[in-house]
Amino acid sequence: MSTVALITARGLFGRRRALLLLPLPLLLVGLAAICRAYGVSPDMWGTAVIVGLGTSVVLPVVALIVGTGVLGSEIDDGTIVHILTKPLPRRDIILAKYAVAASVTAVTTAVPLYLTGLLAGSAKLGAALAVAAVVGALAYSALFLLFSLVSRRPVLLGLVYILVWEGLLGNFVSGTKILSVGQYVATIADKMAPTTIIESSVGLTTALAMSAIFVVLGTIFAINRLGSFSLAGETS
Amino acid sequence: MSETGVIHDIGYQRYSGVRLGRLALQNSLFVHGLRAAFGLGRSAKAKIFPWLVFGIMLLTAVILAAIRSQTGQEFITYAGFADSMSFLIIFFVAIVAPQLVSRDLRAGTLPLYFSRPLRAADYVFAKFAAMAAAIWLLLGVPQFIMFLGAAFTTKKGAEGVFDELGGLVPAWGYSLLWALTFAGIGLLIASFTGKQAFAAGGIVAVFLMSTPIVGVLASLPSTTANGLAGLASPMTLIGGIGYWVSGGSNGFDLPIGRFGPIYAIEAVCLIAVTMLLLLARYRKVASL
Repeated sequence: MSTVALITARGLFGRRRALLLLPLPLLLVGLAAICRAYGVSPDMWGTAVIVGLGTSVVLPVVALIVGTGVLGSEIDDGTIVHILTKPLPRRDIILAKYAVAASVTAVTTAVPLYLTGLLAGSAKLGAALAVAAVVGALAYSALFLLFSLVSRRPVLLGLVYILVWEGLLGNFVSGTKILSVGQYVATIADKMAPTTIIESSVGLTTALAMSAIFVVLGTIFAINRLGSFSLAGETS
Repeated sequence: MSETGVIHDIGYQRYSGVRLGRLALQNSLFVHGLRAAFGLGRSAKAKIFPWLVFGIMLLTAVILAAIRSQTGQEFITYAGFADSMSFLIIFFVAIVAPQLVSRDLRAGTLPLYFSRPLRAADYVFAKFAAMAAAIWLLLGVPQFIMFLGAAFTTKKGAEGVFDELGGLVPAWGYSLLWALTFAGIGLLIASFTGKQAFAAGGIVAVFLMSTPIVGVLASLPSTTANGLAGLASPMTLIGGIGYWVSGGSNGFDLPIGRFGPIYAIEAVCLIAVTMLLLLARYRKVASL
């Protein structure tokens, strides 16, 4: 299991690919630092940076790139065969891949969000955002890992979820909020450090319970799908 | 009739007639690109995502036309349609741009293309034209449906139809501006990777992360910074031009002040620079 995790991590960070993950978090912290340097009140820029960029762009996009990258790119390249033919339970493969995806996403989003929170207010806000980002990373990674086994175009499916489900429908149809990870992240951050910057729309218990459901169901379905995985040719 | 340095005869079948030139190659690349953008001539799976987006756009246009014919009120103007659909346009670009350029890189077809009398510039122009045409159709067809709905229910006869036409034609021009800007940026990002998944993620990341920068700049305590805020994101850039050209009735609600011409200059420069960078990208081609 640790070997699979090692190979996955090397696939993510090998060569210069890790640099792809840098610009988004850097932009987040950089923007916050600029606003702070200009002495603008966090009430003015907090929502645009923390919610507009941090929790609704950086977190899902990093989770999407990493979460589909750990398994989707192996399926795309055909190298998944090498792992599947080893005498390993499919459960172990999924769990190793999920652990790598979730921890990489959590680190690359929680650290910049903590710094942004620190610049926007207090260490308390920073800590709240970091915890919320870790929960969000766990839930998003499970979802996107599942997407890469459901479809041959996991990134597009993930983008439908981020742009259409959370972005477009979330504004018009309030019922979709109960099934969108972005709302759980906002709720957890808001309940831990109440500010005017973040608005929460679901309850804390709902947010935590639904995040756990996303993680557990996503992983179980992913294990199930990989158990009956069939290799197909290039998508046409 | 073959030109020197071009491999036409690869040993299977002899042909000594007239060879079609670069224009025909460009034309067929354009047609193929436009068909590929909507998944035509491809498997059903390739049609799902483009037609999902196109379907949502058409549905919205039909609903808007129906509301307008029932109530007589115009909720979204022709030009405002593009602004309010910006998320779907980004998604469409993320679907189509990797299809057009990343697949060629991945499959290693570029050396085959360029062994013909096709130049790198022809390839870039054909792909750019196909992409821009696809985005323009995505916006123009729903706008035309809205026009039809309004034209058939107008109560002022021919004058009313011409009024609507006066709204539709500038909006088509506005959609063309969206198409050119988004096609350039999308193709440029996609041309750097052969992996469609990475290309799609990169395109969405670039477009989405530019929007909050506008929000931050707009909150700075300086009217100059506020006026120039829209320059930071392609969506607000085009919105700002719409606002300036229409005298404040279209486009995003931006306090662009007297900076309208700067928005237009940046848009022209942006399109030119993306084209130049694309040309530079394809000067030396290897398959990724």
